[in-house]
Amino acid sequence: MTRFLRRFGLRGIAFTYLGVILLGPLALVFYRTFENGVGDAWDALSTPETVNAFKLTLIITAIAVPLNTIFGIACALAIVRRRFPGKGLVNAFVDLPLALSPVVVGLALFLLYGRDGWFGWLGDHGIQILFSLPAMVIATIFVSLPFVAREVVPTLREIGDEQEQAARTLGASSWQTFWRITLPAIRWAVIYGVILTTARCLGEYGAVAVVSGRLQGETETATLRVEERYESFDLAGAYAISIVLALVAVLVLVAMTVIRPKEEAVQ
Amino acid sequence: MSIVATGISKRFGDFVALDNVSLEVPTGSLTALLGPSGSGKSTLLRVIAGLEAPDTGEIVISGEDATELAPQKRGVGFVFQHYAAFKHMTVRNNVAFGLTIRKRPKAEIRERVDQLLELVQLQQFGHRYPAQLSGGQRQRMALARALAVEPEVLLLDEPFGALDARVRAELREWLRRLHEEVHVTTVFVTHDQEEAMEVADQIAVMNHGVIEQVGGPRELYEDPQSEFVMSFVGPTTRVGETWVRPHDLEILLAPAGDAAEAMIERVVHLGFEVRVELVRADREKVWAQLTRDQCEELELADGQIVYVRAIQERVFA
Amino acid sequence: MSTLETAARPVRMQSERASTALSLGLVTTYLSLIVALPIAALVFESTNGGWEGFWDVVTSPEAIAALKLTLWTSIAVALINAVLGTVTAWVLVRDSFRGKALVNAIIDLPFALPTIVAGLTLLALYGPQSPVGINVAFTTTSIVLAMLFVTLPFVVRTVQPVLLELDEEMEQAAKSLGATNWQTFRRVVFPNVLPGILSGVALAFAKAVGEFGSLVIITGNLPYQTQVSSVFIFSRIESGDRAGAAAVAVVLLVISFVLLLSIGAIRHYATRHDRD
Repeated sequence: MTRFLRRFGLRGIAFTYLGVILLGPLALVFYRTFENGVGDAWDALSTPETVNAFKLTLIITAIAVPLNTIFGIACALAIVRRRFPGKGLVNAFVDLPLALSPVVVGLALFLLYGRDGWFGWLGDHGIQILFSLPAMVIATIFVSLPFVAREVVPTLREIGDEQEQAARTLGASSWQTFWRITLPAIRWAVIYGVILTTARCLGEYGAVAVVSGRLQGETETATLRVEERYESFDLAGAYAISIVLALVAVLVLVAMTVIRPKEEAVQ
Repeated sequence: MSIVATGISKRFGDFVALDNVSLEVPTGSLTALLGPSGSGKSTLLRVIAGLEAPDTGEIVISGEDATELAPQKRGVGFVFQHYAAFKHMTVRNNVAFGLTIRKRPKAEIRERVDQLLELVQLQQFGHRYPAQLSGGQRQRMALARALAVEPEVLLLDEPFGALDARVRAELREWLRRLHEEVHVTTVFVTHDQEEAMEVADQIAVMNHGVIEQVGGPRELYEDPQSEFVMSFVGPTTRVGETWVRPHDLEILLAPAGDAAEAMIERVVHLGFEVRVELVRADREKVWAQLTRDQCEELELADGQIVYVRAIQERVFA
Repeated sequence: MSTLETAARPVRMQSERASTALSLGLVTTYLSLIVALPIAALVFESTNGGWEGFWDVVTSPEAIAALKLTLWTSIAVALINAVLGTVTAWVLVRDSFRGKALVNAIIDLPFALPTIVAGLTLLALYGPQSPVGINVAFTTTSIVLAMLFVTLPFVVRTVQPVLLELDEEMEQAAKSLGATNWQTFRRVVFPNVLPGILSGVALAFAKAVGEFGSLVIITGNLPYQTQVSSVFIFSRIESGDRAGAAAVAVVLLVISFVLLLSIGAIRHYATRHDRD
């Protein structure tokens, strides 16, 4: 009897917690958005500025994700398979974006590429970094840097390098070994890491807010647009964009749920 | 009687682990539950311990109905195959655990732990952590831990299963000696018939959730009640419908009475023991166990025709 | 040794070293460009006005108010997560009920959802137009609420694998030795789960301290009242006070570094019993 109560009590606590913090607010926004029908929401989403905002978000993501994926794999290989001085520092820098405030990230880039910054001379030569696409891309890369590397490292450790050694003794070159042996072994970890990276890129707000300058239609991402709509008292518009982002988030969750067991199977 | 189990049944989904099993364990005895994997022996042990609840039946421990009792209240000590050591505690603290949670005075605990460590010969390992011990040492620690609270009954679930052959043999002997010293009613589960025969006073042979036979080692070997018991507890060879122990199969050089004709396929020398593989006229394969001397006397060779006869045989209904 | 063998060996080692150098070179260049250089620029800028300038900004009343607020709300959130996150992880690992897989998947929602959207949804339910009449917008409660949202997954996800790996036989052994459920939890389960809880707490704390997007809307960013350090930094940037922004940013940077080191130390401590 007490066992049943205890089970139910713990379960009740957990469900209440999740409901109050997560599910309640989300459900309400879904409701509010479609309260007056789909038409209003659709109108809000199809204004040119909003469409451009989504486009910009996608472009940034399309640049940042492949770069971080390649880096993540290379970095994981270096950390696990090679010995070199300063490995601790590399680890620290790779993990830093997880613990650092996005505003601090934005500020650091702002200082580096701003007029008086170390790379400010680029602006003098007509290469616009800050308040333009490049800065936003770099900011997004910074905050989404760790994910692929952190997923691949434990998998690489787990599978060991015996297979790679075997391939070498059979005459495979480094590239062939990587392509045919290593990469297939880590593919689920890479995919999972890519999903996390993509989610982070799509949802980034703080760092991009600092470096973008927020020119509507030009340097405004979807997340920046949500805030812009709210500040302009267009709550319906803000909700509509939020719903789209939330739906993307749900897709990400589905992908994570599907891929995670495959990734864990290797470990 | 220390333990009386009556009519125990247990299913896991569609799988019947125990089917109306009843068993009596005499006080102070060393009983083995012997059987292949899936026979239900571990399940029965866990039901006795209270770690599994049976679907039907009852368990009486030291005269008290324990069927509804939680494991904490049953006064049983349990030793797991993979030790279940508290890896975050030293050996001393592991052994002391049962006493610590009963809030015994520190001096009493210290003395008892010293006693037990000496009993299991781990005196100098008291301040080590389980990860620093070998498998055999960890299992001895687990035993000391279970004995610390002076249980009425000691239950061991394949206690030597995770250890290598030599350590297993050592610990078997050690367990027997321990039992003689401590005299706690002990039940242990094993799939190794040699282990059961060597260590236990009483063996319950189990198969597919049922107890096939209960008896002492000799009784089971010489008077098995079913084919399963006979073939599980010792070597067997089959001659038509009858079952024979290979050392009860006599080889004659000349025909005699009901001896059947057979050809020697292979003579395998295993040191003192010789195994002779034969094929009878009716194409059935049998094997006989001879001593080296017997084999030399008969001068057996591959391809030879001989005559075989069972000195003792059994038929099961 | 034949000439063929002596010739073969150095070539192979050379290509090994070359590929190491190449990949390391790429990795470090990328890291420097993206992470190290900007951080260096930040630290450099913060000391622009000298040590005194740095200190002046960091100890200004508004900055201190923001920092105090940030720290105590983050600590509160970390502690709430420690308890409720562990309970949630326990329920997900040990309990079974229909829809458990769904609940398990939902835990990751704050990872996937943009922080600004999180803030907006919290405002909808707990703000001025709340259908249940709870309005905590522009109060410190809203800060705690938003931080709880974004840090929800951390402790749950660090405790779950530890619980999954926990040898249930240890608990059964404790029970067979007479321990009550509470004693079993306190003496056997908890010590083994603690490192998982601690690293989750450190991660949650780091996230909370730096949180920005979810706080921007619901807190109103009222200085001295509901303005946390990240928002303070943002306002300093907007008003052109770069040195001021950089100074406080460096404080947050140091906190982040310390937390990262702690997590590493916790991990090292957690595996001490698995090493011989």
